Amino acid sequence: MTIDTQQKLLLFGAAAAVRLLLFTVFPALPELLAGRVEVSTPVTSFKRLQEGVFLYTHNVSPYDGGVYHQAPLLLPLFSLLPNPAYAPLATNLFYTAVDLLSANALAHVADSGFASVTRLFASPRKELRWSSAAIAAGFLFNPFTVATCIARSTSALTNLFVLTAMAKASHGASITFVLAAAFASYLAMHPILLFPPLLLLLYDARTLKTKTAPDVSSFVITHSLGFAAAIAALLSASAALTGSWDFLAATYGVRLLLPDLTPNVGLWWYFFIEMFDSFREFFLGVFWLHAASYMPGLTIRLNKQPLFVACTLTGVFAIFTPYPSIADAALYLSLVPMFRHLFPLMRYTFLASASILYTSFLGPAFYHLWVYAGSGNANFFYAITLVWSLGLSIILGDSLYAALRDELDVERPELQGKEVRRI
Amino acid sequence: MLSSLCLVLLNALVISVAAGSDYHEQLLLRPLPQNTLLASFNFRSNESAAAFEQQNFRYFPRSFGQILQHAHAKELHLRFNVGRWDAENWGQRPRNGAREGGTGVELWAWVEADTEDEAFARWLTLTNALSGLFCASLNFIDATKTIRPVMTFAPEGQHANSSNLHLLHGTLPHEVVCTENLTPFLKLLPCKGKAGISSLLDGHKLFDASFQTMAIDVRPICGQGDASCFLEMEQTVDMVLDIARSKRPRDNPIPRPLPIDQLECDTSKLYNAHDTCYPLNKGTDPAWTLEEVFGKPLRGACPLTEQSGDEVNTVCINTPPERTVEVRTTGQFAESKLASDTVRCYKLPTGAHFDLVLPEQKMSTGLVRPDPQIFAARSINGHGQERGSTQSIIRNPSTTEAVEIVYLESLPWFMKPYLHTLRARVDTTYESPIKETYYRPAVDRKRGTHLELRMVIPPSSTLTLTYDFEKAILRYTEYPPDANRGFDVAPAVIRILSPQSGDNRGVYVRTTSLLLPLPTPDFSMPYNVIILTSTVMALGFGNIFNLLVRRFVGIDEAPALGAGGLKGMLLSKITRLRGLLGKA
Repeated sequence: MTIDTQQKLLLFGAAAAVRLLLFTVFPALPELLAGRVEVSTPVTSFKRLQEGVFLYTHNVSPYDGGVYHQAPLLLPLFSLLPNPAYAPLATNLFYTAVDLLSANALAHVADSGFASVTRLFASPRKELRWSSAAIAAGFLFNPFTVATCIARSTSALTNLFVLTAMAKASHGASITFVLAAAFASYLAMHPILLFPPLLLLLYDARTLKTKTAPDVSSFVITHSLGFAAAIAALLSASAALTGSWDFLAATYGVRLLLPDLTPNVGLWWYFFIEMFDSFREFFLGVFWLHAASYMPGLTIRLNKQPLFVACTLTGVFAIFTPYPSIADAALYLSLVPMFRHLFPLMRYTFLASASILYTSFLGPAFYHLWVYAGSGNANFFYAITLVWSLGLSIILGDSLYAALRDELDVERPELQGKEVRRI
Repeated sequence: MLSSLCLVLLNALVISVAAGSDYHEQLLLRPLPQNTLLASFNFRSNESAAAFEQQNFRYFPRSFGQILQHAHAKELHLRFNVGRWDAENWGQRPRNGAREGGTGVELWAWVEADTEDEAFARWLTLTNALSGLFCASLNFIDATKTIRPVMTFAPEGQHANSSNLHLLHGTLPHEVVCTENLTPFLKLLPCKGKAGISSLLDGHKLFDASFQTMAIDVRPICGQGDASCFLEMEQTVDMVLDIARSKRPRDNPIPRPLPIDQLECDTSKLYNAHDTCYPLNKGTDPAWTLEEVFGKPLRGACPLTEQSGDEVNTVCINTPPERTVEVRTTGQFAESKLASDTVRCYKLPTGAHFDLVLPEQKMSTGLVRPDPQIFAARSINGHGQERGSTQSIIRNPSTTEAVEIVYLESLPWFMKPYLHTLRARVDTTYESPIKETYYRPAVDRKRGTHLELRMVIPPSSTLTLTYDFEKAILRYTEYPPDANRGFDVAPAVIRILSPQSGDNRGVYVRTTSLLLPLPTPDFSMPYNVIILTSTVMALGFGNIFNLLVRRFVGIDEAPALGAGGLKGMLLSKITRLRGLLGKA
């Protein structure tokens, strides 16, 4: 145990050192990364957050404008920190701490073992797993995570709350789970879809912990009510803070209706630039319905592996939400290594990882050609976002195939290692 | 050597607010350096408030008056502007910049209404009606181009109940002002360009000028003590003509090189030879006549102007006394000299052409050119189509007096400034020059940015104002046909609060408009984008949906029906069909 703790301390220290070193050795790097469309979206950008804080501290409503689209509770938090333009150290330490806490939560999730062994299901390959420290290292030293941290994007906070919700659910801690899930949903709206699978995970964890199954309906009702109450409390606190309910339209309204078409790595922006005006509302509805439709299907089909469902949903968010960034992909790609036991069953790992690598390098280059050099046009960057989304959805589909195949091996052990068909 | 002779307070001459006559017009000519000529036209008509209410129009144009009444506009200022005033060479702006607009069209009005929404509805009525009257795209002044300035503009007239007056301001920097705007402008005049100084206004010369601004100002004026009010409508045209360019004949407007034997060469140059020529700088004022530079003759006085009194002098020229000015006319005219002989004014003959002839002349004296109180320039810094920063440089040339200004920016919504990056620096002091800030941020597709700053610039200092902004990417239908040209950003309006000018019209300086290039999508492929994005989404969804709804079975347990590929499928179909037929 002491060796484990030591290992963890060493890992966290190294990760913090890397971040603080990057912050201090390259003082222009945070500005540069905060301006990259791949890292900062209109709903997570640090520069927009600074503008919001500036307006907030000067008694102008930040929501009576088109720049700030982030949650109101971030305003007092960041107005307490010294101005990052003059004294960036506090902000840098804050973001480093957020990343370390996220990694800690991820390590807790990995420790719980719910990735391969749940209440109703145990993978035949459950011995095949990486240590929680390795998984946390995969998160902390993922270049996407580091870039998000250096860019001081607020999606780092969303990721922290999502990971904390997973960690608390997998350890059966009801209240903290509900709070973390409410915070994540409050910050970014779409994590609300993670609530049902994580509730299932919490139910499993509680059952395993207390050795008695709680009553399903009362369990669901109390937790849903608690979740709703937590969100309502957060929203009313925000309304009290800003003095009106205008923030709803400026934060969640922007995510729903996409008025800001700034490029990002997702599929929505170019589609809605080129969409005919009369069909805009229709396709907004279709796209949102599509993004939300994965949750019920996955939760029902894979109800024995709720953690896998939650992980897959973060992948869905990284592809199909209106303002995804590499931070969302970083979260998904850090959760996938928990399912090490599925790797032997995956079929397109080379294709997927190659396309992710290829887009990571070509994306910034093509964006430069379009916006700065003028020698390319918008289609260059658009094509890269298509490949990026395709690469992520290959990982998504492939891991899902592997998970289902894994379940099949338990249901029908005689088919292990044999070729199967889907009918 | 030109020695300074006299400083003429032109403004005092031009303003001379008097209720004496109901219609008055005046043209002031002033030669500027570099062989240019400033021509300032001023037409002023009055109507008593009672007559205006009863729609009893005499000199006030009926079409315009009815629009004002319908829209409840109590005071209105409309500007059409082309070109740039070169303050470094030409000095102070005509009428202190108070009758000048930003590039394109600018309109501001005080509208009477009980609520802000009602005021805005009336403002839309006003812009739409004026759009029709002046053949300008004023109807495009919508909510995104309208602001409500707080400090920059003050009413010029006297208003009885100013509490429910709403000031609205809109600009169209992209508007190209041209002949179709001049014709309705002239139609509003009592003499309609047929007689009087307005007969000189010709679209070919006016819009060929280096700088021209047309202004219409309506304001109520009330006498002190008594309740008799009247409505004053002032129309002004200020233009700076390049004399050599204006003198080109209309039938042969393309400048061609002179034959070599007609060239006047500087023979003192070493390289002067039969085939090389350096143009001789004669240092003389060029010769010109009114008819030559305006392209049309002045057809005598407008009969509706007063024929006696102190406002009969219609055409004035501001030159040193030694400059020869000959009058060529067949009618009766009168000349009078003002301001130490530096201003010569003429009462025009009625019914006869009038022309001023100035021969080429070598001058030994000149006029003092009044310097502007500030010099202002604004530009966009940075490269790329993603973000940039704006930089305004405002210089106070005075060595003794500090200048207090209000700086107004009205930015389109797709240019998103970051106010936390706003920096104002004065090169002579570390003290912040910003005394007061008013900021209303833009809302996407609904409202533009409105920024007003009150600043003080110490003597002989330069203020540099910078802020970062981000460029939004628009929907493809929101781009104009020439999307890669860029979008025009309205000029900044600077009002000088102190030192004050003598009248209540204020002193204004406007910067040039800016061209903002935005990132553009590929306009040719909406269908391709819809298809490609949908394909990627269908691949993702289809794959996952397939996995979720289908069941795994061993390869050997798969139903044999589907086996055998296309052949097997066809065979099974045929068997089924046979079975059906056999039954029948």
